[in-house]
Amino acid sequence: MILELESLTHRYGDELAVDDVSFGLEEGELVALLGPSGCGKTTIVQAIAGHVRPTAGRIRLRDRDVTEEPPEARRVGVVFQESTLYPHMTVGENVAYGLASGDIGAREREKLVTEYLELVALRDQRDAYPAELSGGQQRRVELARALAPQPDVLLLDEPLSALDRTLRERLREEIARIQDETGVTTLFVTHDQEEAMALADRLVVMDEGRLSGNATPRVLYESPPTPFVASFLGRSNALPATVVAREPPTVAVGDRELELQSSVRSPPTGASVTCHVRPADLSISPPEAAGASGTRLSIPGEVVTVADVGRRYDVTVRTETGDELVVELTDDPPTAGERVAVELPRDRIAVFDADENERQRLVAANETRG
Amino acid sequence: MSLARRFPTRGSSRLPELLVPALLGGLVLVYFAIPFVAFLARTGAVDVVGELSTPEARVAIRNSLLTAPVSTAISTVLGVPLAYVLARRSFVGKRLVEALVILPLIVPPVVGGAMLLTAVGRFTPIGAAAAAVGIPLTDSLLGVILAQTFVAAPFVIITARAGFGAVDERLEQASRSLGYGPLSTFWNVSLPLARGAIVAGIVLTFARAIGEFGATMMVAYNPRTMPTRIWVEFIAGGIDAIVPLALALLGITLAVLAAVQRFGRVPTVIDR
Repeated sequence: MILELESLTHRYGDELAVDDVSFGLEEGELVALLGPSGCGKTTIVQAIAGHVRPTAGRIRLRDRDVTEEPPEARRVGVVFQESTLYPHMTVGENVAYGLASGDIGAREREKLVTEYLELVALRDQRDAYPAELSGGQQRRVELARALAPQPDVLLLDEPLSALDRTLRERLREEIARIQDETGVTTLFVTHDQEEAMALADRLVVMDEGRLSGNATPRVLYESPPTPFVASFLGRSNALPATVVAREPPTVAVGDRELELQSSVRSPPTGASVTCHVRPADLSISPPEAAGASGTRLSIPGEVVTVADVGRRYDVTVRTETGDELVVELTDDPPTAGERVAVELPRDRIAVFDADENERQRLVAANETRG
Repeated sequence: MSLARRFPTRGSSRLPELLVPALLGGLVLVYFAIPFVAFLARTGAVDVVGELSTPEARVAIRNSLLTAPVSTAISTVLGVPLAYVLARRSFVGKRLVEALVILPLIVPPVVGGAMLLTAVGRFTPIGAAAAAVGIPLTDSLLGVILAQTFVAAPFVIITARAGFGAVDERLEQASRSLGYGPLSTFWNVSLPLARGAIVAGIVLTFARAIGEFGATMMVAYNPRTMPTRIWVEFIAGGIDAIVPLALALLGITLAVLAAVQRFGRVPTVIDR
């Protein structure tokens, strides 16, 4: 384990910013730390870099406890959202800055500066000042500066968020290439789920200071461990239901019962739960088909709106039970006001305890895929 | 009835946007310029070089050139670190510290001088002890320096603080993560990036120190500096008597300002 956080907790005064967060990074991994703004991501980055001393918990780098060590003793490279290039130094001097703090000779230093400027394709700009560079070039110089001292871990704190969309996507690929070439263990912090899923081997999802999920993008998307992950990674419909039987687990939505796949941990009969299902996993059939069939549950309802979003239609259906479900259809959409039945796939439903404080997933959806 | 009729277009009567503020500002500028020009107009009637060669004038110039740079140096060496702490940390009692920094600015200099006398005067424990070992804190060049520093130091502290405040803390954090301790980070990053503001503060402090009169008069009426000498000559000989020394004082300050702007690359003093 290159980097390991153990029960990291941090308070700003009375405000709990990070609550008992533990995760680790293996050598060479690119992990995205994902969550909405204000979820504690930046505090975690600051704690790993050593700019914030955590209230509780340990931070280990290469199995060495660095919790009490100052930033300069940690070998952690940092790139922030806003440029931190030194305006009074040239591009070459900026990249050399992190090398000059060590005991690297002048000749070796020059060689490394050239090497890392080549890595980010900016060798020609060596004598330019940061102000003369474009936003994308500045980002690349920052990457070169952070990487040149060959840190154990590279922390990228929302490095692309200040850029426009086209540039962001181009630099995202650039970061993937650079990470691949250098093999540096990287923690990429972002609030953008698309960015995280496109780039990372693994996602660590945060919600209000707590760890909400930690797995590969596909596993988190297909069998979200918490309702937060279900709704934050892609879109999700939430449907309140009640447990009516445990063997096999069966929930009631309105007066319709749905028998679920066998579960890891079955909630007690009578418990209120929330079923999460992806809009793309729902389909629409004529209303006469409504009723629980062998593999599916269908709920009758009325189409409220149909939005044409280009590559698909988003159909909103108000069900008999009073819930609104969004269904993604690729073709042949119904019209608003039409009576339809929404088909729920049995193996694509994630069930969570309705109590906010008990956010553990209760019934696994498609456990075999996980 | 349409709104267009209720808001008649003024068309040709449109005025340049900055006309009114420019007019008001112009009045202040005229008010600054007239006394300056009127005073300089007197120079023709006076033998400036001759007057400045008198022993009294030369001693005063020498004393000012000895004391003001020392006061400025003390203010800078002690004030810039304080400015950095104030820009970077919040702590219990910070408001009090900030009020203390501004205190010498709002206290009239002559009162500030009186306060200094009550602290280090000849009959106070500190003043008496210093005098006993041959270092009189009043009526000495050291007394002049004490008075100048008291009055002038806030300028460099306040300006430098604003300069450090304008440096993004993450630039320092990046330096720490690149392997530099807090002191080398201050030296390599914070100080160069706040340099313009610090230099501006030094210029203001120097100008204030070399022109200091009120506190100096209370603490060290003797030995004479240029401002105290100007006062003495004014009492004895009126306006024309002080023209040479006043011009010399102005010349020194302008020379320092020009030199510092040249080597410190300061855009303007009030830019920040």
